[in-house]
Amino acid sequence: MNVILEQIINGLTIGSFYALIALGYTMVYGVLKLINFAHGDFFTFGSYLGYTVLVYCAAFVTARFGIWGVLSVALVAAAISIALVGLIVERLAYRPVYKAGRLPAVVSALGASIFIQNAIMVIWGPRFQAYPSALIPSTNFTFGSVHISLLQILILALSFILMGALYYLVQRTTFGAAIRATAHDRKTAALMGININKVILFVFTLGPALGAMTGVLVGLYYRQISFTMGWNYGMKAFTASVLGGIGNIPGAMVGGLILGVLEMLGSAYISAAWKDVFVFIILILVLIFRPTGLLGEKTADKV
Amino acid sequence: MKKLTLPICALFVALMFCGSAFAAGNTVVIGLQAPVTGAWAYEGQMAKQSCELAAALINKKGGVLGGKKLEIRVVDDAGEPRSSALAAQKFVTQRDVVAVVSTYGSSVCEPAATIYERFRKVNVGYGATAVRLSQNNMKYFFRTCGRDDSQGRFFADCATKTFRAKRIAIMHDNTAFGKGLAEDTRAALAPLVKAKKVQIVYYDAITPGEKDFKVPLTMLREKKPDVWYYTGYYAEAALLVGQAREIGITCPFVGGNAAINSEFVKIAGLKVAKGCYMTNEPLPADLTYPMAKEFLAAYKAKYGNIPSSPWPIYAADAVNILAYSINRVGSTDSAKLAAYLHNNVNGVRGITGPIGFTAYGDREGVPFYLYKVDARGNIVVTK
Repeated sequence: MNVILEQIINGLTIGSFYALIALGYTMVYGVLKLINFAHGDFFTFGSYLGYTVLVYCAAFVTARFGIWGVLSVALVAAAISIALVGLIVERLAYRPVYKAGRLPAVVSALGASIFIQNAIMVIWGPRFQAYPSALIPSTNFTFGSVHISLLQILILALSFILMGALYYLVQRTTFGAAIRATAHDRKTAALMGININKVILFVFTLGPALGAMTGVLVGLYYRQISFTMGWNYGMKAFTASVLGGIGNIPGAMVGGLILGVLEMLGSAYISAAWKDVFVFIILILVLIFRPTGLLGEKTADKV
Repeated sequence: MKKLTLPICALFVALMFCGSAFAAGNTVVIGLQAPVTGAWAYEGQMAKQSCELAAALINKKGGVLGGKKLEIRVVDDAGEPRSSALAAQKFVTQRDVVAVVSTYGSSVCEPAATIYERFRKVNVGYGATAVRLSQNNMKYFFRTCGRDDSQGRFFADCATKTFRAKRIAIMHDNTAFGKGLAEDTRAALAPLVKAKKVQIVYYDAITPGEKDFKVPLTMLREKKPDVWYYTGYYAEAALLVGQAREIGITCPFVGGNAAINSEFVKIAGLKVAKGCYMTNEPLPADLTYPMAKEFLAAYKAKYGNIPSSPWPIYAADAVNILAYSINRVGSTDSAKLAAYLHNNVNGVRGITGPIGFTAYGDREGVPFYLYKVDARGNIVVTK
């Protein structure tokens, strides 16, 4: 019983990383109908920036603000920088090809992804980098025989706060309604007086910012970062957003968490070697019976 | 201008390819395929430095074929089988490349070796120990490193004698090397399992490239093994041990010969890495041959530290044995070189000891030692 509980917590932790990254994919797709392949690399870039802040500015900031200050600075600095990078990539790689159709946009996205990945390799080197250890006190809590670390609790808490805040923003505020409207039908939303450019700006700032913060959290949790890790996480997160219904923000959150838990179940009870097979079989089954994803809405085809 | 762009681009591309054909007539080129970037960049860069140093030492002693300079041409394969196939294809189209020292990682070496065999180019592996590689009757494939069936038998020996383990956990990563070594170990333990002296309580694979192994590790913990053998690579090994200790796995960790090097110690951190074991061919620091001492002194003088894993040294030995054979054969013809390497190389002095190849191209007589990470992060021989 205790093992299952511990595994569920592990699954939810992985799941919350996937969920936060999936939010970036789903927001961009919802508003622009564009799959932002570079998002995984925003995540990696954020992770490396957090690494640089923690390694080079740590001494200076810790003296003034303490360990939590340093972590907040790392998270905020990564988020703001990658938000800027997201805007630049949107302006340079996506805006010129909006009118050209889907295929040029996909190619442009892949190109941006390769460019950022190699830029990271050139700047920080091809070897693995490791986040400084012993940043967060490594206290472990044991409830019964369930092991959970302080870092895990913090990550789960922060992820759920971020997801909750975004959910509130999207479902309960006027601007959130504007985002949902734009995701539903861009032209009509524009006709209704919604400032489309503001929505696109928001989506390309918040998505990458969330990805960057996830990057810092992943760096803190696993300590080892590499310039190719965006591909792996990006692929899983994209799968999560499809599972939950692409374009649907609560769907991305739900999809991510479910994916994490499914991976956990597959790994623990079938075989660690076959877990990806298990996850993708479930994905295929879901898509067969609900093609728009778990929370996706069936949009009527206009004839 | 628009009409000229396409022809100008075509001309530019053609000139780029011509460059490689205009190689000077007085160098002999040996190719090196290595993971200079990617997950194993650490090993790839050491291999590159090692081979370049070996070539420099040979050139200092007079070069090959009566004074020609030996040149090492590096192509990156990023530690990926796909890029490896591309790298191999690149080398086979370059006529001035006499032979190739090819690569780290059995799953990466395999596609390249197949291509080199098809195009009849001598290739010497330095970091590929899976048994599979030499089982396809290839005439042009050789390797200066050892083989995993001996390693599996060595671990089976250690498990019972050194660790006195009754419950053994074997974890691999589904790569050609990792799975191969795990299966060789299981085969070596089979007689003991049959006699009910040991039990293999866990045998499963993790996915390389991932970071989170808490779930399979929790399952491993529940099986309560006495010793845990991981046969994959150092990138995942570092993460595995850290996460294992976090969730309360206390049994000794033994890595295969790709699991522990100074990168492992750096990423896992000294606290976690201390006390980890490894089955490995002799590390550079433990080589006592005179050529070894000379080579390592030169390496240290140029790069600051000696390599922390044996593979760069095997790569250097590959360069040495190729240069030796080219000199003895008197030409750079592939078929003659391959025949010479098979039939006439027997006990030639190398950095890692006497070099000889079996009929299948495997290195003869490679010993294995049990290593341990000590309190200061050094990897030392232990009993």
